[in-house]
Amino acid sequence: MNDIGSTADREATLVLKGITKVFPGVVALSGVDFSVYPNEIVGLVGENGAGKSTLMKIMIGLSQPDEGTITRDGEPLSLKHPTDAIGHGIGMVFQDGSLVPNLSIRENLFLCHELPFRKLGLLSFRLMRDAAARVLEQVKLSVDVDTPISEVSPAEKQMVEIARLLWLSKLYKQDRPVLILDEPTTVLSDSERTILFDILRSIRKEASVVLISHRLQEIVENTDRIVILKDGRNVTEVPAERARIAEIEQFMVGHSFSADRYREDEQTQAGAEEVLRVQDLGKSGAFEPLSFVISKGEIVSLVGLVGSGKEEVCMCINGLEKADTGAIFLNGKRLPIGSPSGAVWAGVGHIPIDRRNDGLALGMSVAENVNLLVLNRLKVAGFLSLRLEKKNARTWVEECRIKTPSLGTMCANLSGGNQQKTVIAKWLSSRVALLILDHPTRGVDVGAKEEIFRLIRKLAHGGIAMLIMSDTLEEDIGLCNRMIVMKDGMFVKEVVCPPGKKPGPRDIIDAIV
Amino acid sequence: MTVKKRAETGNGREPSTARGGRVRIPNIYYAVALLFVVGLVFSLGNGNFISAYNLSTILSYAVLLLLIGLGQMCAILVGGIDLSVGGLMSFVSVSFVIVVQVIGYWAYPLFILVGVLVGYANGILLTRIKIPSFIATLGTGGILMSLAMIVAPVPVNVPTPKWGYLDIFNGTFLTISNVLYIGLLVFLFYFALLRFTTIGRSIYYVGSNIKMSWMSGIDIAKTRNFAFILSGVGASLAGIMVSAVQYGCNPYVGSTYILTSIAAVVVGGTALTGGTGGSFNTLFGALIMSVLLNGMTVVGVDQYFQQSILGLMIIVSVVLTFDRSKTPVIK
Repeated sequence: MNDIGSTADREATLVLKGITKVFPGVVALSGVDFSVYPNEIVGLVGENGAGKSTLMKIMIGLSQPDEGTITRDGEPLSLKHPTDAIGHGIGMVFQDGSLVPNLSIRENLFLCHELPFRKLGLLSFRLMRDAAARVLEQVKLSVDVDTPISEVSPAEKQMVEIARLLWLSKLYKQDRPVLILDEPTTVLSDSERTILFDILRSIRKEASVVLISHRLQEIVENTDRIVILKDGRNVTEVPAERARIAEIEQFMVGHSFSADRYREDEQTQAGAEEVLRVQDLGKSGAFEPLSFVISKGEIVSLVGLVGSGKEEVCMCINGLEKADTGAIFLNGKRLPIGSPSGAVWAGVGHIPIDRRNDGLALGMSVAENVNLLVLNRLKVAGFLSLRLEKKNARTWVEECRIKTPSLGTMCANLSGGNQQKTVIAKWLSSRVALLILDHPTRGVDVGAKEEIFRLIRKLAHGGIAMLIMSDTLEEDIGLCNRMIVMKDGMFVKEVVCPPGKKPGPRDIIDAIV
Repeated sequence: MTVKKRAETGNGREPSTARGGRVRIPNIYYAVALLFVVGLVFSLGNGNFISAYNLSTILSYAVLLLLIGLGQMCAILVGGIDLSVGGLMSFVSVSFVIVVQVIGYWAYPLFILVGVLVGYANGILLTRIKIPSFIATLGTGGILMSLAMIVAPVPVNVPTPKWGYLDIFNGTFLTISNVLYIGLLVFLFYFALLRFTTIGRSIYYVGSNIKMSWMSGIDIAKTRNFAFILSGVGASLAGIMVSAVQYGCNPYVGSTYILTSIAAVVVGGTALTGGTGGSFNTLFGALIMSVLLNGMTVVGVDQYFQQSILGLMIIVSVVLTFDRSKTPVIK
């Protein structure tokens, strides 16, 4: 294994030095140094807004630095365009993927570089197919190469992108390719994650990988070296072997976190009143009939692998999907099936997993978004009142600590974390009885996570019942009063999680897998 | 230039953004500046431009554009477009001429109702039968255009004894033509609807992000139907006005107004993609278009050349006001 002590002797293959990038009104990067050594996996961490994306964009030629130099194996580099970067063996797999969905794996792999496969002036599909199979072997993917990308799973898509970058590096005769992976694990299940990291370790023999992730556990376990950025500057770098998560968090945020990150001592007792009653709810092809109850102020976690049916259960409750059997009652009243507006009017809130695209009207102001659900409450003599609107918006912006220049600022101009908070504020102000939180901390940095946990506890205090699906088992356990475990569409068991006597992840994993 | 000064004096709206992106100046400032510049250019070209008579001609035509523009704006704001406004305007204008002779003042509410019904039909085609508004309104517009020609194969006129019924538009009050009062009233009506009612606000939400609106419980169908009803009403009012002011009409009158109505909306700063813009934008758009068309004639620009200038104007104003940050790919 590469010991970081020896990096001083090794030559870095890619060096960014003194990188500064300024946008109107904000300094994104200030004198940042970042090096990539051959045959290593280096983790890059930092809060949202720390400058990671900006740095990576400069590294792949999508953006140009205002100051600073880039050197590749000793030669200075000027990257004006991502194709320059690819030509030098530097490529990135973006978080949302950049494959063309209606084309096949084979076509995507060699997109825009089909010349090597010409035979008598026409493209030879046979040559392409053979090459594709060989390329995919490297990432241990054995899918039919003619499958259209839209039918391929997210995990497999990622492998295709990685394979493509490796192939392009070979094409351009780059023997020390640098692959950047931006949050690759958010769309992966646990088993897929393990496979990904196995592949990365085998790729390490011929390439270097830069791994960006918010999941510090992953970073510590799978990288050689960890680089931490904060507010556009280098903080430090630590060898992964000696790294501790708490220490990294402290570097990222600037202060330490209490051991009790989920605020377990604030966990409320479930009230006596029942808020949500799910009775024999079933959907053929998704999940078998199940029943459960959530009481006032109670937080229930729904846990299971992808395919367990938990997402479909939530979608039936908030009306986005129609259940086939059973009924859902909110505060005793039956909910209409398949009607999101029916669910909303009854008092069911839903904070969607893709908050940016499904949760906000980006072209409208913060106030307009926050007030969307409660307009009827903000009227004077039947007409919307500017004064009442401002008042409501201001209350919730303060409550959720949304950082915005003004209430009238367009949501598109807020940072990602603040956009998330705006969506949460919108649902909070509507005083729902039941709030469904779909991966509430996905893509959220450590500092904002803290605030979201604080808000969740506060809501529970106020009597709001919650149904949560989290990114990590740890988070589910830490937050909930009770946990419902599902597997392959069936209800497995219910686990109680009282504060101070919480089960560990290992106790639950057996039931899930 | 005027625009820059306003941004620097820090009017409190949209300072340089936390994301470090381009500073977003509200589109309305571009529209106002454009109006100022265009007006200045023409008044330098010909002194008669700013005569009282010419100005009243400009305002009159602006009201016409405003009526049809405000309607079109609603369809665009909700994320669609209304290509039937030309056909509806033609149909209403010739039918109004004929009907007003028979039922007098009742013709006014009757044809406003016609606008409501046509708008509702367009809405249903979109929300129930799920035909994109571009296609649906193209169809209804065509139907209405030929209905207009069936109703009046040759131009029709209101005979002199019946001119009294047209005084709603042609009369004056306090030496100002009624046309301007009507323009003001209709403007206030649309403004209040969009700004102060829940369903008006919903038009913006739906136009901005339809999926989010659906998930948040907004009644998408009702909102879109409402927007197209407003569009139909605007076109009807324009059809009534053009007949009243000319004391008669021909059945082809509406054909040029499809694009002119879209131009008035877009030049004023409302995005074609929907979700941003408003009544003030359309007001300035209508004024700019009117000043431009009038000014070109007064200054003596060749008639055929005017079309090119108009086209250029549309491109320039869309360039200034189109929000590329929300549209990754320009189709």
